[in-house]
Amino acid sequence: MSLFELFLWSFVVLALVATVLISLYGIAKRPNLVKKLIALTILGDTANLFVILFGYRLIYPVAPPVLAQWSESGVKELLRKAVDPLPQALVITAIVIGMAVNIFIAFLIIQAHRLYRSVDTREIAKYGGE
Amino acid sequence: MKRTLPLLLILALVVVFAYLFATKGVISAPTELRPLGKFYLEKCMIGGDFAAGSPEAVTSILWDYRGLDTLFETSVFFLAIIGSLMLFSFKVKEVVREQELTLVVRSVTKIAAVMILAVSASIALHGHLTPGGGFQGGSALAVAPLLVLVAFSRKILETSGLSLKRAIVIRSLGLMGILLTALLPLTLGGYIMQNLPIFPKYIADQLTSGSLIFYNVFEYLAVGAGFTAVFLLISIPEKNFVEEEK
Repeated sequence: MSLFELFLWSFVVLALVATVLISLYGIAKRPNLVKKLIALTILGDTANLFVILFGYRLIYPVAPPVLAQWSESGVKELLRKAVDPLPQALVITAIVIGMAVNIFIAFLIIQAHRLYRSVDTREIAKYGGE
Repeated sequence: MKRTLPLLLILALVVVFAYLFATKGVISAPTELRPLGKFYLEKCMIGGDFAAGSPEAVTSILWDYRGLDTLFETSVFFLAIIGSLMLFSFKVKEVVREQELTLVVRSVTKIAAVMILAVSASIALHGHLTPGGGFQGGSALAVAPLLVLVAFSRKILETSGLSLKRAIVIRSLGLMGILLTALLPLTLGGYIMQNLPIFPKYIADQLTSGSLIFYNVFEYLAVGAGFTAVFLLISIPEKNFVEEEK
């Protein structure tokens, strides 16, 4: 594996780590609830991308886990170059659950806005849980 | 603009550390399959033909090997949509849309919406053959009404036959289909969500992969209509549009 390939791989991994950190900052520090939700979706998507990345193989040629025509040698060939199908199947589940949670949080924010006329946590905190 | 400097700093840090890590070999890229992934791939492609009836390992895992997981995931997703339908069951006051979008936007939307419908159907119907599936196709399908909502109006969508009620009915039909496909093997002496000996692998000489195509089609309808219902709820109805059209 060449240095450039390793550099690109490290770059992708570190960029994802940086994205996680930025989204955590957004969740913790932004006072606006909508921006908190956006940061949360970024965090979830980055986590999913991480899982996909773990199932990837840095080889050439790399193939999707699909075998068009069955044959004994075809299966061997596929095992030699196919990516891991399990993370992809798990990520689909994670995306759907994440979407469900996001929809729920979005409607909680709408509810908060209807009750308090604000989506700013500092404004809502003034009501003291009333 | 005040955030440009921190962002550039982060980018520079990432580049420098990526170079350092690459030269030191800290992060190693995987080149081999993990044992579990290899196990699933071998089991999917085993025995002279495909064990789950599908040449696509991801869909086989999703709706066959880990089928119950996906079934309950679907139920969680639809509980969330039902929850949002309940929370949002109040009257939104209508607004007057001051300005229409330009002819260019509306014409492109007309073409793109039809193409999205075709592509999403292809993603869902070929889900057992190529990467893709019911959920991916359904989320692509929901983009078409969303585009129409933004470029035209909610009223246009409703007068052309896609009302909130109808979207919920289509969603429920899709869910019912998934449930029936999951329970049908029980009545024929099989296990719940059993795939192959119960459902035919080929229909009219086409590889349909047993129950996988049914799950994909029903999930496609359910997810597409479910998302459309949520988009219809979130959108704000316009007051003046219908009069203008007439």
